Amino acid sequence: MEQAGALARCGPDRTTHGAFSATTVRTEDGRRVSPGRDLARRSLLPLAVLAAGLCLLTAPAWGQQAAQSGESAYRAFPYIGSRLAVWVISQIHLNFAAFILGVPIFAVIIEFLGWRAGLDRPEGRRFDWLAHEFVKLTFAAFSTTALLGGLLLFLLITLYPKFWTYMSQIFAPTMWLYAALFFLETFAVYLWYYGWDWLAGPRKWIHVSLGILCNLLGTAILFVSNSWVTFMLSPPKDKIDEAGRFVGTLWDAVNNFTWMPINVHRLIANIVFGGTVAAAYAAFRFLGARTEAERAQYDWMGYIGNFVAISALMVLPFAGYWLGFEIYGFDQTMGITMMGGFMSWLWIVQAILIGVLFLGSNYYLWLGMERIPGSERYRPYIKYLLLVLALGFMVWATPHTLIASVEEVRRMGGTHHKFLGVFGVMSAKNTAVNLMILTTFLSYLLYRRANKVATRPWARTGMAAQWAAFGLAAAVVVGLGVYGYFVEPIVRIRRFSPLQVGTVLLTIAVVMAIDIPMFKGARSTGAIRWGTIAPRSQYVLVLLAVTFTWLMGLMGFARSGIRQHWHIYGVMRDTSPDAATPALGYAANIISITTILFLGMVMFIFWLGGLGGRGHEEAHAGEGAPGMTAPVPISGGGPGPRS
Amino acid sequence: MGAYTWYANSIPQLESKPPEELSLEGANVTPEQLVSAGEKIFQGKGQCTTCHTVGGPGGRGPDLGGVGGRAATRKPGTPAKAYLVESLINPAAFLVPNYPNIMPKVDRAPIGLNRSELWAAVAYLESLGGTVDVKLDDIPATAGAPAGGGAAAASIELPGDPKAGQAVFAGKGTCIACHKAGSIGASPLGPDLSNIGATQTVDYVMGKILDPKSKGTVSGFPAGVMPQTFGQMLTAKEYIDLVSFLLTLKGGGAAPAAAAPKA
Repeated sequence: MEQAGALARCGPDRTTHGAFSATTVRTEDGRRVSPGRDLARRSLLPLAVLAAGLCLLTAPAWGQQAAQSGESAYRAFPYIGSRLAVWVISQIHLNFAAFILGVPIFAVIIEFLGWRAGLDRPEGRRFDWLAHEFVKLTFAAFSTTALLGGLLLFLLITLYPKFWTYMSQIFAPTMWLYAALFFLETFAVYLWYYGWDWLAGPRKWIHVSLGILCNLLGTAILFVSNSWVTFMLSPPKDKIDEAGRFVGTLWDAVNNFTWMPINVHRLIANIVFGGTVAAAYAAFRFLGARTEAERAQYDWMGYIGNFVAISALMVLPFAGYWLGFEIYGFDQTMGITMMGGFMSWLWIVQAILIGVLFLGSNYYLWLGMERIPGSERYRPYIKYLLLVLALGFMVWATPHTLIASVEEVRRMGGTHHKFLGVFGVMSAKNTAVNLMILTTFLSYLLYRRANKVATRPWARTGMAAQWAAFGLAAAVVVGLGVYGYFVEPIVRIRRFSPLQVGTVLLTIAVVMAIDIPMFKGARSTGAIRWGTIAPRSQYVLVLLAVTFTWLMGLMGFARSGIRQHWHIYGVMRDTSPDAATPALGYAANIISITTILFLGMVMFIFWLGGLGGRGHEEAHAGEGAPGMTAPVPISGGGPGPRS
Repeated sequence: MGAYTWYANSIPQLESKPPEELSLEGANVTPEQLVSAGEKIFQGKGQCTTCHTVGGPGGRGPDLGGVGGRAATRKPGTPAKAYLVESLINPAAFLVPNYPNIMPKVDRAPIGLNRSELWAAVAYLESLGGTVDVKLDDIPATAGAPAGGGAAAASIELPGDPKAGQAVFAGKGTCIACHKAGSIGASPLGPDLSNIGATQTVDYVMGKILDPKSKGTVSGFPAGVMPQTFGQMLTAKEYIDLVSFLLTLKGGGAAPAAAAPKA
């Protein structure tokens, strides 16, 4: 079960774990300076990356030599076996990679917002501080990602030499490209992080552009490595000859059925993941904060992290739907195995996890409203929102076909429960998830306007239009969901589901298009009291990070597991002792272990970074987020500089 | 996290195991044994039940209850067994009205039934309301997956000498005591290997010689007869030569190694 999409970064670098160092501190004139001791680290990371890159470049030849020498297609990893070794390392590597690719995406957006708001103003400087904090977290995880990537590469070359040879024969040029992109990204991120003060003032646009460049390079890296893993999943059948040789072009191999859907799905999922982990970090710092100012700034950071995560989470199911659609398009058997075969129960577990994510995110928003004067107006509605979410959760988690004994089937009246079985089908689940997304958006909308009273003369009309849009959207989603029971599956899949999705997205766009001008210049009912949120909210942020990490592991198992006993589906069969795809319980045990290892490593890295910064924080007490003294008055809940 | 793990462990645990290869080449198989083997393939390796039911409400594909009887009427002039064979190896040739063209060629990867398995599957389908009359010869010689999965198996070129392997087969290996290979040997004790090179993988052949038990027993033959000692009895060269020889056996009357150049 190689997760070769993670074939990746090579290069141990244990010198830089602390290099993200909260060691950049602000001087009295507002400039950041980095202590000189980071200099050594600065010079060591590029060297380590250079060495890692060289390892990567020589790896294909190494693998080919191993395979051509007539040795076995497999070698055994001591004690735990090859599959488990590759599984654990690739999953942790993917977690780190997702984090360092996801966080910079929203970090640069936040930096941009701060820049446009004006760095001479407290709001602008606060966003700039937050962007820097996020990049700092990325930086901390960078070298560990490279280390794990290198380890994974070595495992694949040594344990699966024949597989590696086959892949490298096709993808060698992309591996060189990958190495080049990785070098470029490393130096770009370096410049972005350490050039924060150097490229300030009138040169800020260069710095923001650098952040965008980092993201472009990171996304390119993601796309390149995705081509490998998606080729394993959906190799182009018409480009494989009878002997299993690939006879197409490199582009044919790259641009396979699932490449673009997985690109999009992973890109969005990385943002969610980055947001949840960054929010959990903020929660960790919030709970350990010693001053009100510190608590306020990490309360705000946690809010932004969760906001980013929840925003991306709302569109993630749609990307997942597209991916599933393409899997069916590639191979019906694979699609059916995934959704209706031995993996069908996996989606019930997934439903529970996503339900926790939706409920947790909303609960955090509702708790956050308690620190906003004026939010009392909206509290009575929360129970209805909770009801819709809970019902949606239950529908989504309803299995269609239960594996039951004869006696149980008799008592139930058939293989499907006569009433609940109705909720187990796709039509019901699509309806449920769309309603949950609408409800989550409504929660955010209430949070956003919690301390605002619209003063526009057309506000009443605007509100009515918004409610009408919500009502109409709900009616369309439910209507199509019910009608979906009476049409052919192809109609439901190709027409109704996209229509439901389109309706929800359009509603979000329309409602926001009304909301933003309607609340411009709104009367405030009081400032948000940052730092006064209930501590239990921070545990919710941690829960969200843990749940999403676990979910990533589960989805990794799903993506890899649907290949069953094939390294490359339909082309290269897995004839190793690990060819069987394990049951969900075993997979869950491994996922939990990888999640614990990942979170443990993250905590350790963040702790190391905190050690470096602590002395400086004490020396520069009170120099946190500019303008962040608790309770901090901010006239709104949104992430925008003026919201 | 504990709750997620507990829940995932509390639901039915389904493992997906790689399918086993079935070999019926040269076997004395009764129709009942064939149908029984075919039913297992239908429900297992063939993945037929993913889309088809037998006497049920139907699924993504047509219900196959009674298909053995109605297969002869689907395409005028096409006998039942020919229609069923075509349905398996070239399903797009004829589509049952109102069903989409989604069925894969089952003798190609990823399902990859070999010739023996196709034979058994057709026999099972014939048994559903019809008469089992399909013979191995009714399955086209070109049908059947290069089992073992495309590249992994097909790209292997053994360094052995088939001619020397033929000598091992007839001499030191004493294989002819039980097996037939083209014009060599005639004993009915073990399966006829005259076509084994076309129907089995390198992995299977190598494994069957070194560890016969690990590859199961061909239907219609008693279990545990083949010695487990060839690994000790043959030198590495003899072993590779023997495998190379067996892989040249792709039908025909004469032992091909005698005339064929080195593989």
